[in-house]
Amino acid sequence: MKGFEYFIGPQHLGIPGNFGIIVNVDGDTIVKARANPGYLHRAFEKLMERRLYLSNVSVVCRICVFDPDPQEAAYCMAVEEIAKIEVPERAKWIRTMILEFARISSHLIYLGSLTSALGLYTVMQWALTDRDYILDLLEMITGGRVYHIFMQPGGVRRDLPEGFKEKAKKVLDSLKSRLSDYYNLIFDNNIFVHRTRGVGVLDPEWALSMGVTGPNLRACGYKIDVRKDDPYLAYPELDFEVPVLEDCDMYDRAMLRMKEIEQSIRILEQILDRIPDGSVWKPVPNPINWEVPKGESFVRVESARGEVAYYMVSDGEDKPYRVNVRGPSITHGILVLEKVLEGQRLADISPIVFSLDVCAPSIDR
Amino acid sequence: MSGIGKTSRIKSLWVTYYVTGCGGIELLPVITSRFDAERFGIITSATPRQSDVLVVSGFLTTKTLRRIIRTYEQMPDPKYVVALGACTINGGIYWDSYSTADKLELYIPVDVYIAGCMPRPESIFMGFAHLMAMIKGDKADGWKRYHENYKWYKKNQDKALGNSKKWRVRDV
Amino acid sequence: MYEDLKKDIQGKFPAKFEVIRERRIKVSIDKNSVLPFLSYIKSKGFIHLISISCVDWIKENEFEIVYHLWSYTDEIHIMLKTRISRKKPIFETASEIYPVAQTFEREIHEMFGVDFKGNKRQIPFILEDWDDIPPMRKDFDPLKYAKSHFETEEYTEEVWTKVRKIQKFRGEE
Repeated sequence: MKGFEYFIGPQHLGIPGNFGIIVNVDGDTIVKARANPGYLHRAFEKLMERRLYLSNVSVVCRICVFDPDPQEAAYCMAVEEIAKIEVPERAKWIRTMILEFARISSHLIYLGSLTSALGLYTVMQWALTDRDYILDLLEMITGGRVYHIFMQPGGVRRDLPEGFKEKAKKVLDSLKSRLSDYYNLIFDNNIFVHRTRGVGVLDPEWALSMGVTGPNLRACGYKIDVRKDDPYLAYPELDFEVPVLEDCDMYDRAMLRMKEIEQSIRILEQILDRIPDGSVWKPVPNPINWEVPKGESFVRVESARGEVAYYMVSDGEDKPYRVNVRGPSITHGILVLEKVLEGQRLADISPIVFSLDVCAPSIDR
Repeated sequence: MSGIGKTSRIKSLWVTYYVTGCGGIELLPVITSRFDAERFGIITSATPRQSDVLVVSGFLTTKTLRRIIRTYEQMPDPKYVVALGACTINGGIYWDSYSTADKLELYIPVDVYIAGCMPRPESIFMGFAHLMAMIKGDKADGWKRYHENYKWYKKNQDKALGNSKKWRVRDV
Repeated sequence: MYEDLKKDIQGKFPAKFEVIRERRIKVSIDKNSVLPFLSYIKSKGFIHLISISCVDWIKENEFEIVYHLWSYTDEIHIMLKTRISRKKPIFETASEIYPVAQTFEREIHEMFGVDFKGNKRQIPFILEDWDDIPPMRKDFDPLKYAKSHFETEEYTEEVWTKVRKIQKFRGEE
C-alpha cells in the first residue's frame, strides 16, 4: 500500500501517559491504525497472589493512576463478599464520598487535556488548580494526595477530622460558582464547536455490541449506569439523576462530563448533610493470620471512565488464589480506537484519543 | 565552562516531555499555575533533541527502558538525568516482578534522586534546586561518565534487555 | 428466584444452575456445549460480555475458563464456567458471537498458553521478546527470573555502617 507509516509513539505531547499507536497514512487521511500497549506492564495479577489480603490494598491503587479509588473500593467489596463481613453504615457513606471526589478530579483532568490538545491552554491552568483544592480535602482525611490507601476489608481506617464539613462546603461552593466560566470559555467557543462537532462519531448500536461503557455510552443515547442498575454502598439512599445525550461526537462526550460534575456536587452536598453516626471499622479476626474461607465473587463499580470489575477466587489460605481485574479501557483503547480512527485526519488523532478517555495503565496492569 | 555559560544554563533548563510511569501525575501540578515552574525557567520541550534534562518518573519496565536509552542517546551534550520516586533507587514496591528493572544507575548515569511515592511538588522543586547547585559547582558530570564507561553500561543493558541488535535498530 | 430462567436453561443443556444472591447466578457446563449456550443466551437478552478469565488449577491438572455475561433488560449476571485439560490446552473462539472476545482471548493466549482456534489475532499483546514459559502459570517463579536478569543492591552490614556514619555526622542520631 502506498503512503507512509507513522509511529505516534510513547514520547509524544499528544498521548495520555505511555501508550503507542501505529498508523498507515495516505496523504492526510488515515487508512489503518493499530494500538501498541504494554509499556506499563508490572504483572499485578501475579504480584497479588504473593501478598497477604491486607497488604494488597496498597498495591491495588496503582492500577489506574488518574482515578485510584474505585479500584480500592472494588477490591474491598470482593473480599467482603467471600468472607461475609458486614460493613457499618457510616463507613459506606464515607466510601461513597471519596468515590465522588475522585470522579470530579478525574473529569477536571479530562477537560484540561482535551482542550490543550486542541490549542486552548487556559483551561488546563484553571482545571488543575481547582483539582488541587479537592486534593487538599482528601489529604485532610487520608494523609496522601494521590494514592490514599484508606479503605480496608471491614470499613475505612479513620473517622473524619474536626472542621472537615465546613471546609468541604466552602470548596464545593467555590467550584459551583466557577462552572459558568467553563461553559462560556469552552462550549460557546466557535473554534471548539467547529473542531469537535461531527468528528470521532461512534455508531450507537455498534458501540453497545463492542463493550463500550461509562460516559462514552451515555453520550450515545443509552441510560445505563452501574450505580442505578446494580446498586452498591450508599447509592440506593441518595437522590441523583443520570444525564444522557443524543449524538455521539466529541462535543457531546465533553458536555456530558460537565453535567456529571454538577450531579456529583449534588450528591456530595446530600452526603455532608445526612451522614449517619456510628463506628467506621469492623475489626477482622486475628489480622496477622487471617484466612479467608473458600469461595469466589464478582463485583462491579462505576468509575469515571467506565465499568471496573473484579473476579476473585480464594482457596482457604491467607493469600488470594487468583484475582482478575477488568478495566474500562481494555475495550475503548484497542478495538474501538482502531475503528474510529479510520478515515480521520492526522491532526485529529490526539483529540480523539483524549476524548475517548483511554487510561493506559489499566490496559497493561 | 565559563561563569556566564553556567549561569545561562541554570536559568533555563528545558525538560523532555516523557511521562514514563506513575510519577507523571505529580508533574502536571508542577507545570501549572498553583506550583508554577516557569518562573524558574523550566518548561517542557517536545523533542529530546532540543532539551537539557530527562526526568525518569517512576518504575522501569523492560519495554520502556529500551526507549529511555534511545531517548537519552538522542539528547545533545551536556545533559542531566533526574530520577523521581522510590522505584528507581532499588526496585520499590515491584521488587519481585518479572517485568521491571530495579536500579536505574546501572543503565544510564543519574545526577539527582528524589525520594517519595509520590514525591510532593515541593520536593520536586528542592530536587531541581539541588541540580542547579550541582551545575554551578561542576559536579553534574553524568554525561562524561557515560562516554568514559560505555562498555560497562552496555554490558548491563544487554544482560537485562536481551540482544541489543534487535532493539537498537527496531523502528518502533 | 429466577425459576423460569432455570427451567429454560436446564431444558436445553445439561448444566448445573445455582443462585448465589440477588442478581448473581452461576452455571457450570461441559466444554462441548459452550458455543451453542452462548448463541442461545445472547438471543435471550444477555448482550454484554464483561470479561473472560482463566484460572490455573495445577493440582487437578486443568484450566478453568469463566465467561461473565450481563443483561441490560433483566439486570442479572451469569458466571459461566467450563474446564479444559492443562497438557494440551486448545479451545474454540467466541469472537463470532461476541466480537469483543478477541482481545480477552488474545491476552489469555499470551499469559497462559491456551490456543483459541479461529481467533485471527493471536499476536503478542503486552509482552515483548518473551522467551520463557507463559508467565501466569503456577509453576513460574517471578522472583527467580527477576534475580537472574536484574541486579539489585543487597543491604549488607557494609552499607549500614556507611549510613550510620553519615547520620552521626549530620547529628541525626
